[in-house]
Amino acid sequence: MAYLTTFYWGWLLASLLLGFAMGWISVVQHGEGVSKKLRWWLAALAAALVAAAVARVVPGRFGYWLDLGLIMFALYLWGCAVGSCLRDWVVSRSAPPA
Amino acid sequence: MHGLFRWSSKWWPGVIPLVIFWAIAAWTSTEPLEADLAQRSTAALKDTVLNKRRISVAGRDVTLAAEAFSEDGRTGAVASVESVPGVRLVNDETRLVPEAQPFVWSAERDVVRVTLSGSSPLPASKGRLLEAARANLGGVEVVDGTTLARGAPPRFDNAALLLLDQIAKLKDGKITLSDTKVSLSGMARELGGREAVAAALKNLPEGYSVAANDVKAPPYIFQAYKDPVAVTLTLTGYVPDNNIHAALVAAAGRKFFKEKVVDNLKASVGAPAGFANAVVPALGALSRLSTGTLVVSDREVKLSGDALHEAAAVQIRAGLGKDFPQGWQFKPEISVKPPAAPVDATVCQQLFADLLGQARIRFESGKADIVADSAGLLDRLIETALRCPNTNIEIAGHTDSDGEEPSNQALSEKRAQAVTDYLVKAGLPANRFSAVGYGSTQPIAGNDNDQGRAQNRRIDFVVK
Repeated sequence: MAYLTTFYWGWLLASLLLGFAMGWISVVQHGEGVSKKLRWWLAALAAALVAAAVARVVPGRFGYWLDLGLIMFALYLWGCAVGSCLRDWVVSRSAPPA
Repeated sequence: MHGLFRWSSKWWPGVIPLVIFWAIAAWTSTEPLEADLAQRSTAALKDTVLNKRRISVAGRDVTLAAEAFSEDGRTGAVASVESVPGVRLVNDETRLVPEAQPFVWSAERDVVRVTLSGSSPLPASKGRLLEAARANLGGVEVVDGTTLARGAPPRFDNAALLLLDQIAKLKDGKITLSDTKVSLSGMARELGGREAVAAALKNLPEGYSVAANDVKAPPYIFQAYKDPVAVTLTLTGYVPDNNIHAALVAAAGRKFFKEKVVDNLKASVGAPAGFANAVVPALGALSRLSTGTLVVSDREVKLSGDALHEAAAVQIRAGLGKDFPQGWQFKPEISVKPPAAPVDATVCQQLFADLLGQARIRFESGKADIVADSAGLLDRLIETALRCPNTNIEIAGHTDSDGEEPSNQALSEKRAQAVTDYLVKAGLPANRFSAVGYGSTQPIAGNDNDQGRAQNRRIDFVVK
């Protein structure tokens, strides 16, 4: 992992920033999100992919692509979380007290 | 926390560009990543000795195929690649180099090249042996057909290097090392080469031994050519040592009274036993030929040429082999020189005088036994006597003045008779010859010095 982060930090930073931007937007965005049920399914899928990566069952290039995708996705999620929290903090501070 | 959970339901649109990023990253990074890992894996195996190493990388998975020379080396190589940063998995396709049982290595030399075959223990020793072979054999093509194998005996390199030194001493042949047993066959390049190889094999590393040494020496050649036109006797080839060399040249000088001896002999070891005892009589036989070649090859004596008369040919064919030491072979190819044109009595006398002026018939000291060295001269005298068949010849014996006259008289008569008997034995009619002894009554030189006395001790042929 350390090797990959030093090798492709640019792509990883891009994922992080993308996540940050998405998280920033998501706090004030109107409209329907993903349903609760689907979210569980997606979480299960992500867990299964992580398990496959950790167990190293996917061989060769596909294994590498899976690792790369999961790292980018993890950073994306981290960026989303940070972006959302920050936006929420900014919004709650600037909004007049109810 | 609840908010984070709520917001996360709206994070999905960003996944679409994320997937695009991922696709681009995967597209552009895979091959450089694989190349980098291959290079790092190769560098990690730099100090590990492996044969047929092949590294291929798919994604972050390295496939290592190689032949290792020990189990430790094999596991160590896999561990080295596993420890390379970034490598996810190592597909271990390594195996051990096959074990050779018995471990055979050989070097074979023919006319144009030296071929190394069999097994070598490590790439380094394979290279070192090939390099040593090229250095030792200067200019001869060296073909390395050895394959790598485990199971070499200890100190293999030292033994093989020593054997490569020996292949340089062979003209052709094969040296085989089977485990610790050495077998040699072939022909030494030079006289003494066989002995040099045998001596060098004593320095084989501990534990090694010679199972068979069938290296043959090149034939030990001695040649003598009697050239009637140049009036020379040319000696070429080898003699065992300087003493025998001097003895042979001296014997040639005694037996060949007319010819100049051209001495091109070289001293060398490896002579067959009884060399001098065979070559001296063979030179005597050559001296009896008008033209001829003597070739002594190991223990085989070939004498070819023309005898001066039929009886001489018979004597040489039958007699020479008997004089040889045991184990020697004689192959005569003796023909008879065509008889020369008859001459009258005056010419005949002149020819006798010429011959006896060049050399004297020699006897054992104080006796009437003709020495073998005089056979060539006697053959020429017989040949001359055959050219004037209608003459009678007095064989006149003379002595110097040393000793009592009656004994000198008796000795001169006996010696004259011995010569007459020799001529008759050679087939000349007895009634043509009369043996007369003159004692010391007819000196041709002064008896006061050795040289003069030697001239006075003589046999004269007087045509009547």
